[in-house]
Amino acid sequence: MIEVRNLQKQFGAVAALRDVSFRAPDGAITGLLGANGAGKSTTLRIVCGVLKPDAGHVVVDGVAPSSGPLALQRRVGGMLDHAGLYSRLTPREILAFSGRLHAIPAGRLRERIEELIAFLGMQSIADRPTGGFSQGERMKAALGRALVHSPHNLLLDEPTSGLDIPSVRSLRVLLQRTRAAGACIVFSSHVLEEVQALCDRVVILAGGRAVAEGSAAELCERAGVASLEDAFVAFTSAEGVAA
Amino acid sequence: MRSPILTVAAKELIDGWRDRRAIVSAAMYSLMGPGVVAMVSFAIHDADRVLIAMMSVFTLVSAFVGGTNVAMDAIAGERERRSLVPLLLHPVTRLDLLLGKWLAVAAFCAAGLALNLAGFALLFHRLPPPALALALFPLCLLAAALEIWISTLCRGVKEAHTYLSMLVFVPMMLGMFMVFSPVAGHGWWKFVPVAGHQLLLEAGMRGAPPDPLALVAIGFATAIVAGMALAAAARRLEQDDVVYGG
Repeated sequence: MIEVRNLQKQFGAVAALRDVSFRAPDGAITGLLGANGAGKSTTLRIVCGVLKPDAGHVVVDGVAPSSGPLALQRRVGGMLDHAGLYSRLTPREILAFSGRLHAIPAGRLRERIEELIAFLGMQSIADRPTGGFSQGERMKAALGRALVHSPHNLLLDEPTSGLDIPSVRSLRVLLQRTRAAGACIVFSSHVLEEVQALCDRVVILAGGRAVAEGSAAELCERAGVASLEDAFVAFTSAEGVAA
Repeated sequence: MRSPILTVAAKELIDGWRDRRAIVSAAMYSLMGPGVVAMVSFAIHDADRVLIAMMSVFTLVSAFVGGTNVAMDAIAGERERRSLVPLLLHPVTRLDLLLGKWLAVAAFCAAGLALNLAGFALLFHRLPPPALALALFPLCLLAAALEIWISTLCRGVKEAHTYLSMLVFVPMMLGMFMVFSPVAGHGWWKFVPVAGHQLLLEAGMRGAPPDPLALVAIGFATAIVAGMALAAAARRLEQDDVVYGG
């Protein structure tokens, strides 16, 4: 479970996050929905421990923020922005490298890599350098890397960006299976249909603030509208009022 | 269990070794010295001093060129292909990641230096005394530290290539200056990394035994400058725009 409390982050003169708070429960996919520049990526990078907030904090599985970013990173797997793979290494080698950095014992790591290759359907590409991979194959290798240490919490930043339809469907199935195993998944997107299709809960971000939080049906009811799109417009145009 | 530093170093060594184009390029730069000096030796006779001076300059340069491709790929390249953020997601301190990459770059620098010395040994049957040859290897640690620091300042491989190419001119120019300048060998020059190595190397190739005090002093000065470069690189890796921004 991830709890984000009153995050603030400034980059020079730009206030990327003004006040972001939300809760992402276990066994559910929580969608961060917002326009470009709303603060989705910055929020996810802070939750992953690669950026430090100026104020506020993140609690993951009840671990106190004072435990430091490394304690947080042991509990979180992330696929942020782009796949970012090593083109001269194979998925098996990338998973092994990542697993060693997570200090997984050698025997267990070998088993885990085989599990992931089967889970992600990567048998035919596991021993090919990733340099010539399609976007869908890259996504699978990057997702495998995010899952190598069996994290209870998974963060994805616009993971379907650039993927073709079969790859999007494949990702959706993989995420649903990961959720069924009890994981807490946080998923950022600016595509309403994607959020509606996948997410159990939605957090709407606008101008660096979390302006609304709940299931799609709850948000529509609160905004007094019929669709999530209309709810999104209602909450983001009233930024600061609904926060 | 292997430490994260060695895990990162091992990955960089494998990754760097598979970049065959870069390996061939680094090997050619390392062997450029023996090749050029061999050609000059056909043209001029009884010019031991000139040949030794050229050898020592090329040897210093070889300690830098072996690692440049790996250094530019290790941080600037990771930023460019967006694999740096996924790497930083691991529960490993940024200092450990940096040290692992530094060791890998230093290993490639040392391989370039060894190849250069082997080339001179093969063509001229001339090598610096073993103690001096060993004293040259800390220079690889310094070269790697400077290269990895420059890589942390760059947003992509092309930018890193520009600055790292300039860095390779430092040992070349400093070496040439020490060969031809009247101040060479006087005062504090012998304690300046690269310049001091040039003086020691030139004297050693001429058959003079290395001065133990000078070896220790230059080793100490080299370690200090390498430590400063690594500290600057570590500080740079903690900044937000390494994670964010193009």
